[in-house]
Amino acid sequence: MKRKSFIQSSIGALTASYLPALPKIQPIEDEALFVSPAFLKVGDIIGITAPAGYITTGEIRSAVQKMESWGYKIQVGETIDKRDFTFGGTDEERTKDFQKMLDDPKIKAIMCARGGYGVVRIIDKLNWEKFKAKPKWIIGFSDVTVFHSHLNKNFGIASIHSKMCNSFPDDWSLAEPIQIETIDSIQLALSGKKMKYNATPNPQNKSGTADGVLIGGNLKMLETLAGTKSDINTAGKILFVEDTGEYMYSVDRMFWNLKRTGKLSQLKGLIVGGFKIKVDEDSDDFGRTLQDVVLEKVKAYHYPVCFDFPVGHQKNNYALKCGVKHRLNVSSDDVILKEIY
Amino acid sequence: MIKIPPYLQKGDTIGLVCPAGFMPVEKVSECIRVINEEWGFTIKVGTTIGQQYHYFSGTDEERLDDFQHMLDDENVKAILCARGGYGFSRIIDKMDFTNFKKNPKWIIGFSDVTILHSHIYRNYSISTLHAPMANAFNEDGFKNEFVQSLWHVLQGKKIKYQCKKHEFNRKGEGIGELVGGNLSLLAHLVGTESDIKTKGRILFIEDVGEYLYNIDRMMYQLKRSGKLDKLAGLIVGGFTDMKDTEKPFGQTVYEIIRDAVAEYDYPVCFDFPVSHGKENYALKIGVGYKLKVGKSKVTLEE
Repeated sequence: MKRKSFIQSSIGALTASYLPALPKIQPIEDEALFVSPAFLKVGDIIGITAPAGYITTGEIRSAVQKMESWGYKIQVGETIDKRDFTFGGTDEERTKDFQKMLDDPKIKAIMCARGGYGVVRIIDKLNWEKFKAKPKWIIGFSDVTVFHSHLNKNFGIASIHSKMCNSFPDDWSLAEPIQIETIDSIQLALSGKKMKYNATPNPQNKSGTADGVLIGGNLKMLETLAGTKSDINTAGKILFVEDTGEYMYSVDRMFWNLKRTGKLSQLKGLIVGGFKIKVDEDSDDFGRTLQDVVLEKVKAYHYPVCFDFPVGHQKNNYALKCGVKHRLNVSSDDVILKEIY
Repeated sequence: MIKIPPYLQKGDTIGLVCPAGFMPVEKVSECIRVINEEWGFTIKVGTTIGQQYHYFSGTDEERLDDFQHMLDDENVKAILCARGGYGFSRIIDKMDFTNFKKNPKWIIGFSDVTILHSHIYRNYSISTLHAPMANAFNEDGFKNEFVQSLWHVLQGKKIKYQCKKHEFNRKGEGIGELVGGNLSLLAHLVGTESDIKTKGRILFIEDVGEYLYNIDRMMYQLKRSGKLDKLAGLIVGGFTDMKDTEKPFGQTVYEIIRDAVAEYDYPVCFDFPVSHGKENYALKIGVGYKLKVGKSKVTLEE
């Protein structure tokens, strides 16, 4: 595959040394250079591995059965049942397992068993040559945002932001319809169905229509990737963010980070997913809602913004294709995100 | 070349502001008394002292106005931030440093004030002071060597800091401009216009109340953004009140940091007295220091 190249705008060439108050300019990437891995056919193999936190065979059983019921074969990696404190094995073990799945031509998709923390510790140890030559789907969210960002920035290869093995219910009869629907959305995305999603309109949404490559994930992860070689370029794209367990001041600080690293000024659209805000008993009253925190950062821009999009650490977390072109349509009575061709 | 603001003379005015979190007046009064009566300077109390707007010591505009006023007032020779908390991220890009650049003055504080230290050093090459704030004066704290070091530095005295050896220390000698502060904020600033420069410099870091995995993640961010490979030396301060997850991380905070810099060969010292605890020496950002990590002790001198 050809190395991804950039179309540098004339302003973009002048970025070198600015006065601090001026926004950073990012290069606009050529959307035509983003590629999707091959979609899965019945009989294809999905590898399951634990690149971050540890997980047991018992905890992935439901996911294995479900994905087999979709007609896929499952290859369980060596990191399942491995444990090194919080990790699914040592850095070396997690790297080796993931590398094996990247290099095995029979494996068509890699499902990360769970998030937690750990991908950033192995990302620079992985060899992407075979993957670049023959891309495959990498699936997951939360800590797996590191992979989505890295692939988007460096290779322009699409990946799937979705639930992972630890979100598949043990007892399907007790599962809520939304849980089942969002898990089934993984199969739809993997099999090549063009995705379309609706969100409940929030009165504070900003209306508009935008076309662009979709990118995003966990906000904290995006912040801690800033300045690294996995740091995403958001210019001309539709960005989605979600987070959990952060205090409001921290969410505010992270949105400042997006703004001050130049990630908000050239967006086509902004999708705000679920944010579980942490509150403790003597927590200080921050005086601003999530909507306030977001809207003040994008006040000067005219692209659509929506809240309450079904993505995040929650039951309504649909499979989204990062690195694929989408259209976001936000109006007073509807929010639609769909893949476009 | 780094610009050093003029040191203070008896009777000089120090502006006291609260640029981030709210602080009640009674917690600032001892600091005001000591600086006025014992140190012989004159405190000018900013409008944000004792003022409250939700979590903050005022709206963004009020905090900005107060700080800007102190920056622009020629009679104010130093600005002491009464406390940190959270707030500089919200106003940093609205601050006007035009007068400050012409007439530099000492800006003092730590924690959230790391944003100012990093921003001013990167963009204007003016030295600032990473030092104890108002709360450190309370309960006779002003008598300890850490708060005293602030007084000495403000008068232009050069201090040679010493600290005890630590089993993880990496011996050696490094010379370079001193940069650093709160790890969470240094990580937060990566990629922004306030991003810290570390190449050829001595970096110091400290933090409070963070999860161990988050410290690890931030060290990886610094490493992956090229902040750790070309240091002249690393000073690891206090990492107080660290938290762990239900599934333990399996390393102490110093083990995490030791491993993050294991592949480099510059001197590293641990448990240096710069922290959110009582142990917090006044350090001049941007000034050239020599760090000596020896067998039995560690010294840091200008």
